[in-house]
Amino acid sequence: MENKDKNLLIVGVVIAFLIAISAAFFASTNPDGLESTAEKLNPGALDAPAVHEAIMPDYKIPIFGDSPISGAIAIVMGVIIVFALAYFVGSILKKKSDK
Amino acid sequence: MHIPDGFIPISQCIVYYVIVIIVGYFAVNWAKNNLDERQIPLLAVLGAGIFAIMAMNIPIPWGTSGHMIGSPLVSILLGSPYAGFLVISVVLIIQALAFGDGGLTVLGANIFNMGIIGSFVGFYVFKALKPLIKSAGSVFIGSFLAIFIAAVACAFELSIAGTFPLEAGLIFMGLYHAVIGLVAEGVISTIVYVTMKNLRPDLISSGSLD
Repeated sequence: MENKDKNLLIVGVVIAFLIAISAAFFASTNPDGLESTAEKLNPGALDAPAVHEAIMPDYKIPIFGDSPISGAIAIVMGVIIVFALAYFVGSILKKKSDK
Repeated sequence: MHIPDGFIPISQCIVYYVIVIIVGYFAVNWAKNNLDERQIPLLAVLGAGIFAIMAMNIPIPWGTSGHMIGSPLVSILLGSPYAGFLVISVVLIIQALAFGDGGLTVLGANIFNMGIIGSFVGFYVFKALKPLIKSAGSVFIGSFLAIFIAAVACAFELSIAGTFPLEAGLIFMGLYHAVIGLVAEGVISTIVYVTMKNLRPDLISSGSLD
């Protein structure tokens, strides 16, 4: 990998981490557009249980409680998982180099 | 607009999964013929950044909040709606599995809205406008319309599912996501596009430059 591509990776991931940590502290806790619509039109629908139990529900680490720190760790973990999986998917699907 | 479990009957969920699998087949073919090794760092960084920014809900009026969906930006930068589909699918799968954001039964519908409609509308509106106005303006309008039309589609789906009445669903979903499209999707996509165009134009698909 060339240096400038490494720089892109590092700068990009650092920005993603900063956004992730800020999100845990500053994101609005208002319901999002779909939840807000459901609250007005069909609040009962929101009571339906999820079919599986997520390991980091609502972007929090359960053992760390409901604090923004817990949220920051959860979202940073998500950034790392998505980065790794996207990189992996790209690597297995990329076009074969013509040698 | 992550739909939770219970909003769409299973029989209809299957339809969205089938559509996603068909589009996924074409997306894999696109990648195997077009995805350059040099684009992979950008693809992974965009996925990571979009995941983070989707957690940053910004407040909008009426006690509501919202976030960008990111698929139009990825599609424009990498030069294909299939790129947006692949990256946003990865993001949505992790959000549903690990964070419970969006249900598993409705994952197909969520990928259909944000990954397919968002990518195709964003990319082709951008392509259609680019010869007429500057590329940055085309990114803004394409990204705005992408999330707005994805939300309108979501309202139709939830009406077919019997969860929302059609007219009120369209009004609320359309209104909220029009605001999010203007203040989040449009603005952030344009900033990232212009920054990339100035710093690393070599990584942007040649068809998406002026």
